[in-house]
Amino acid sequence: MSEQKIIEIEVLRYKPESDEAPHSEVYKVPFTDDMSVLQGAQYIKDNFDGSLTFRWSCRMAICGSCGMMINGIPKLSCETFLRDYYPNRISIEALAHFPIEKDLVVDLSGFIEKLESIQPYIIPKEPRTIEQGEYIQSPEEFNRYIQFTSCINCTLCYAACPQFGLNPDFIGPGAMALLHRYNMDSRDGAAEQRMELVASEEGVYNCSAVGYCSEVCPKHVDPASAVNINKANAAKDYFLRFLSPKGGSK
Amino acid sequence: MSKRKPYVRSMDGWWKKNPYFVEYMIHESTALFVAAYAFILLVGVVRLGQGEAAWNTWLEALKSPLSIVCHLVLLAGAIYHTYSWFKILPITMPPVIVGGKKLAPEVLTGSALVVAVAAGLALLGLVWRIAL
Amino acid sequence: MEIFKADVVIVGGGGAGLRAAIAVAESDPKLKIALVSKVYPMRSHTVAAEGGAAGVKKPTDSLDYHFHDTVGGGDWLCEQDVVEYFVKQAPVELTQLEHWGCPWSRTEDGHVNVRAFGGMKIERTWFAADKSGFHILHTLFQTSIKYPSIKRFDEYFCVDLLEEDGRVQGVVAIEMGTGKFTMIEGKSVIIATGGAGRVFRESTLGGIVTGDGMALAFRHGVALRDMEFVQYHPTCMPITGLLFTEACRGEGGYLVNKDGYRYLQDYGLGPLQDKPKNKYMELGPRDRLSQAFWYEKQKGRTIEHPVLGSVVHLDLRHLGEAYLRERLPLIYEMAETFMGIDPAKDMIPVRAGVHYTMGGIKVDGKCAASLPGLYAIGECSSVGIHGANRLGSNSLTEIVVFGKLAGDEAAKHAKSVAPGNSASLLKQAQAIEERIMALKTKTGGTERISVIRKEMAQSMEDGCGIFRTESTMQATCDKLAELRERFKNINLDDKSSVWNTDWLMAVELDYQLDVAQTMAHSAINRRESRGAHQRLDGPNEAYKQRDDVNFLKHSEAYYVPGGAPRIALGDVKITKSQPEVRAYGAAGEKADAERKASHV
Repeated sequence: MSEQKIIEIEVLRYKPESDEAPHSEVYKVPFTDDMSVLQGAQYIKDNFDGSLTFRWSCRMAICGSCGMMINGIPKLSCETFLRDYYPNRISIEALAHFPIEKDLVVDLSGFIEKLESIQPYIIPKEPRTIEQGEYIQSPEEFNRYIQFTSCINCTLCYAACPQFGLNPDFIGPGAMALLHRYNMDSRDGAAEQRMELVASEEGVYNCSAVGYCSEVCPKHVDPASAVNINKANAAKDYFLRFLSPKGGSK
Repeated sequence: MSKRKPYVRSMDGWWKKNPYFVEYMIHESTALFVAAYAFILLVGVVRLGQGEAAWNTWLEALKSPLSIVCHLVLLAGAIYHTYSWFKILPITMPPVIVGGKKLAPEVLTGSALVVAVAAGLALLGLVWRIAL
Repeated sequence: MEIFKADVVIVGGGGAGLRAAIAVAESDPKLKIALVSKVYPMRSHTVAAEGGAAGVKKPTDSLDYHFHDTVGGGDWLCEQDVVEYFVKQAPVELTQLEHWGCPWSRTEDGHVNVRAFGGMKIERTWFAADKSGFHILHTLFQTSIKYPSIKRFDEYFCVDLLEEDGRVQGVVAIEMGTGKFTMIEGKSVIIATGGAGRVFRESTLGGIVTGDGMALAFRHGVALRDMEFVQYHPTCMPITGLLFTEACRGEGGYLVNKDGYRYLQDYGLGPLQDKPKNKYMELGPRDRLSQAFWYEKQKGRTIEHPVLGSVVHLDLRHLGEAYLRERLPLIYEMAETFMGIDPAKDMIPVRAGVHYTMGGIKVDGKCAASLPGLYAIGECSSVGIHGANRLGSNSLTEIVVFGKLAGDEAAKHAKSVAPGNSASLLKQAQAIEERIMALKTKTGGTERISVIRKEMAQSMEDGCGIFRTESTMQATCDKLAELRERFKNINLDDKSSVWNTDWLMAVELDYQLDVAQTMAHSAINRRESRGAHQRLDGPNEAYKQRDDVNFLKHSEAYYVPGGAPRIALGDVKITKSQPEVRAYGAAGEKADAERKASHV
């Protein structure tokens, strides 16, 4: 029977009703090799301090709730394992670049507003009734956008983006990935309508191609690509507007 | 009154906290190296316009040991600039489809580097021939 | 207290709730909709569903086949008129999702593709890789943004329904970010809060699946129907319980025991097939496959893994990496990330785990509960399509078919009744606030909620597992009664207002104990075996058999304040399909042929 392993988890705690600023606390957590960082946090909450607060649900990296900074890197805590850090201390903190509400919970309202602002739904190019059945979409058309549909809205990319950190109004990688997903879907015809947001003050030109967003994305969406491709699209659109009053590019 | 009190963390020293950002700042700074070299060449053009004597003085200055060292440093910076620029190239391009499959970013970066090296060697060869 | 007046209140922002919200908005843009969810909608557990949504698509398929598969799969405990409606609307709603942008996987010529699934005669499961629930949920959430009449209350935790003049009048919810209570009035309330599988120890379910809406309706006198029928999914990751989709088997995966033997052929699902054949072998229904696991374990033929426990192996190696990465990308990543296994090279250890709650809030074919103005949809409801065992891929279709229906019905109802008496509703809401606050502020307790929760979960696994006996179920009933008492003595670590999840998890535990009791008491009361409720006991082992004489009935659990639920029996609506021997594999094909011949 092998000895119980203990790992030290340092948590940045913050209680808005009693703390002026966040402060670290260290917990000694017994663990087994299959335990994730999320399970480590749950152990602390169940056994040491029920006030430790964090978002979580699915435990399988599909709901996007459990993002946090783990040793300074944005990760999903449900698929990050304590065994990979042991015997060193592991430090966890709320996702960077967002205001901390409490402990590991950040204010995501700005992100949600951005998602809602980009018209993230099909505005059909051609109408079709239900009786007519599904739109036909070839494998080539499918492959043009499918990668960008994988975004789970975990906001690790926002925690990775220093431009967003410096300017919280920047539309950011996740919202741009969703915008691009709809622009690239053959069923949609509203790329032009979305262009205004793309080229706006809060739009893609805030991006300086750091590329860390795509590095940390747990679903390989490549939001950096979605943002930077649209720099060219925005420029094309701008110049075409000079040539024709309708402008427009796709 | 709500009891919320969101805490906003400072961005001071953000780039020092993660090796990825340190590298980012380094490769961004190589733009200054390229600018510095462009400035040296600009001075050369101006000197050329000022007559043969001014041009020769400029050329001599370039041959000094300090200048050689300076040029090597600027060359290293320019090379890293090119490399890091091409590393980021794939995210700026729409997907390149060859034979029904998207080309991997490594292929795009690799191809660009190969072209850059080939062009550099070709240019060097040309200049060498002209000089001889 | 904050007050918001809506026409229709929807509790739960998953697939069903979102579809209902869109339906209300489309039926009349002037109706005010409040969509209340304790998580941001894209975190709802619909997101984790993998395999797909069933709807007749192929020309060789028919509504009749889907109907018979579903009713047989439910071991004849389905409301057959509702199943008829369900199979008819399925292709309509799935096409609607496609129009809204859902990235269904396609055939080479650009049509929506369908795949085989357990217990289905013909391929009819529409799928989006192996992330169908994810894509459906995101499509619905993003589409819902189009409608300005939908006001979302994100991260608002519902603590009670408002009831007055014999009808539902709205809800009371806590704004999680501030701890403040909000009263949301509504002439119709749709509950779409999902299942309750977290009352068990090992499940595929996310932390939020705690039966909230079931408990709320229950406490207001609405019956929870067929709660004893809890689905064990045959292929879950050991320890975490995470789901490996049925599509693994639909695409051709095998289940083998420690001898590398495809044991399902010993359980009426044979003969052995080398290619997946619908309703044979690994494509049998989930209850049968999970039961086979249990039998194999009794026979000592499961693999006894030192860390993972008893498992069988899911063998996908013969499908090859390229095919697996294309058709099952999520489970490929899960095996790699969580288990360090490459499914193209090694078999995946799996076992049966709790996955779905067939039972729920009793509603009629229009999703209406016995309390006027109250509707329920999705996993939290028992509308009558799953009976004693759900077929895989029927539930993703369920949420859109009944989401649409309930939305339309709730909209009609809201327009037909007058608003409530806000002043007296406010008094009710304030009383509710006091009660819930007391849970937080009380001192002197000695019990930790995590301890009670774990004891409940262990007891449910022990007593209401795949196979049940009188003594195991009774032990669980007794344990739950004990835990109910001990719950009165809890002490919370966190007494604050902002983001107090200690407090909210206590409220969830309260819901879970109620729901768990309905499951355990309904189970012990059903003295037969049917679908997912299997017993090993009875005089001369009588309860091991299905008993259509006494128990071709629904179980209905009614709330008894301070005590165990009262269990009654209700009639089952049978139209076209008379109960038969439930057969799969070669026996099933023979039974099908005989039935066809006799229905000339």
